[in-house]
Amino acid sequence: MTTKLLVVDDEPRTAEITAELLRRAGYAVEIAVSGSEALQRVRASSPDLMLLDYEMPDMEAPEVLDSLRSGADRIAFPVIILTGARHAPGDQVLGIERGASDYIAKGTDRQVLLARVRGALRERAGESRVIVNGRLRIDLARGQAWLGEHALKLERRPLLMLQFLAGRPGEVVGRAELLERVWGTSYSGFEHSLEQAVHEIRRALKEPGWIETVRGIGYRFVTQP
Amino acid sequence: MESATGSSPSPELAEALHRLRSTLARLKAELELAQADGTPVPAERHLGDLNEALGLLRAVEQSAFGTFSVLVVDDDARLAELTARGLRRLGYDAESSDALRDIRPREVVVFDLGMARGLDEGSRSALKAARPIVVTGATDPGSRAVAAAFNASDYLVKPVELENLVAAIKRRLTGER
Repeated sequence: MTTKLLVVDDEPRTAEITAELLRRAGYAVEIAVSGSEALQRVRASSPDLMLLDYEMPDMEAPEVLDSLRSGADRIAFPVIILTGARHAPGDQVLGIERGASDYIAKGTDRQVLLARVRGALRERAGESRVIVNGRLRIDLARGQAWLGEHALKLERRPLLMLQFLAGRPGEVVGRAELLERVWGTSYSGFEHSLEQAVHEIRRALKEPGWIETVRGIGYRFVTQP
Repeated sequence: MESATGSSPSPELAEALHRLRSTLARLKAELELAQADGTPVPAERHLGDLNEALGLLRAVEQSAFGTFSVLVVDDDARLAELTARGLRRLGYDAESSDALRDIRPREVVVFDLGMARGLDEGSRSALKAARPIVVTGATDPGSRAVAAAFNASDYLVKPVELENLVAAIKRRLTGER
């Protein structure tokens, strides 16, 4: 199956030439010339990867990423942001928190562009599920979670548990289900491990509110602003 | 130096802007001539000029926004790119290379010591001038001495945690101020 890419740039010539470079590398490429058109196309044809211009008149990249994430369809494909100018690192962190997988400065060599597209696609193929929830980002393949720029020190089980909860924000997840999915057992003797893991997650996050205890039932992940 | 409208740009910024204009002007003049004469456009030279202009634009942006770039050099191209991508995700303007290329102004170089042997004299002194962050797989005491010989600002042992690399980059930049 041909890999489908979506190129988003408000400047049609830029979008078309970027698309042409990618088509010559064997990709099927669609174009959108605004943030809102990008959102429509994503829903209509679910691309494997999106190249997104940072600055667009109707929506900037972080807004597009936010809209993609809201609702039922979380970003399930890599997004590479194309920037016109190099901003202060702060702007880029903003994009990362919202789920971008990479950045490319416009005008970067064609070979580098293609290599980064391949890299982002390969990473996805490697089942590196990256979950992004507000400022929280969990990269299972790398065994690492971040809150903003801060890397969280978490062992494997707490990390898996955080990933599991963060993948279902707002939902109460029962203790039995957590034990089964994270520890691979429903044996109640592991209950203290569950509590220990929650304790470790909360300590690593250093912020209250992310994980709520629902007494007698389980836990709920609440995305914090 | 203060001008009537505020502070004047840094000499670095002024220099980059000047060279950018000059490169673009040359390109334009050459295209105008080619159009007037109906002669073919020298594509290769123009590509070279445009790459130079983009490089200068980058220098202008970095000077204006106070940002810098990071070059990760490792003969394991995949590892170098993974590291660079990790840095990009943290907001750094980072790229990777499996060989040492020309070092740009304001560029922080992360250099795999294993590649030290292959360097010629010119690259060696350019690297020393850049005060690189040296990364090595070997833990033997000799490595530290070699790193010191490269005027390294920091010395990290593989596998390098991104967190530690970021800390080294920050130290390197603070040391510069």
